[in-house]
Amino acid sequence: MPTTLSPQLQEAAESLINNLLASEAFVHYQNAHARFKADQEACDLMDQLAKLQARLRQKQADGEVNQAEIDSLRLLQQRAQRNSVIMAYSQSQEEAVNLLREINKEISQLLGLNFASFANHATC
Amino acid sequence: MEDQTFDNIEIAPLSAVLAAAHDFAAALAETAQFKAFEDVAERFRRDSVAQQAMNAYQEKQKTWRALIMLNALSPEQSAELESLKNAFFDQTVVQEYLKAQTELAALCQFLGDILSEPTGLNYAAACGVSCCG
Repeated sequence: MPTTLSPQLQEAAESLINNLLASEAFVHYQNAHARFKADQEACDLMDQLAKLQARLRQKQADGEVNQAEIDSLRLLQQRAQRNSVIMAYSQSQEEAVNLLREINKEISQLLGLNFASFANHATC
Repeated sequence: MEDQTFDNIEIAPLSAVLAAAHDFAAALAETAQFKAFEDVAERFRRDSVAQQAMNAYQEKQKTWRALIMLNALSPEQSAELESLKNAFFDQTVVQEYLKAQTELAALCQFLGDILSEPTGLNYAAACGVSCCG
């Protein structure tokens, strides 16, 4: 069943979104995200890292990881940490997440329940 | 209200963002779904029969947690646990609570989605909520 919001709730949601997007944390995040997307080297490095992590996770579950593979992962992680575009993106994301947590605390305090828990789609 | 100007973008101060969050929560608190949940939650809290049934079920789960995890309950234990579970979930106020909770969750999930989409971050995940709450 589609959800219809009251005009008051619709307006309040839009105001919250607009204020969030205009916050320092989210302006930084959006800028850092755009710089990351525009940087081929940074994107390729993160892609390599994600694929290697996924591969090693699977191998670990099967008990097949060897030291050389762990060393490769470590090297890639160190390269990512030396990449200023990746680190700026990561840092800005952390700040944006912290702001969302602060907002959730504000919302949850008034409601008397954890809004994020109720907003969560995933179930076990 | 003072706004910082940063590279020609007007930055919303934290106070404005938190005020918008407060107003959002206040609007959510006025919805039928939230009021219904609040009402039944209070009735559930005051229902001694339902509370006793819940406590009995939870205590037994706690006592037998290791057996449950190992799927090692005897048939008699399973039957007893099932009986306690049914005694709890058959309570009218419990059924009403679960219905109200589901309806409020549906609304909050919709709101979480509309907060997530423009920001590019999953609201619930960012706030540290996993599938187990």
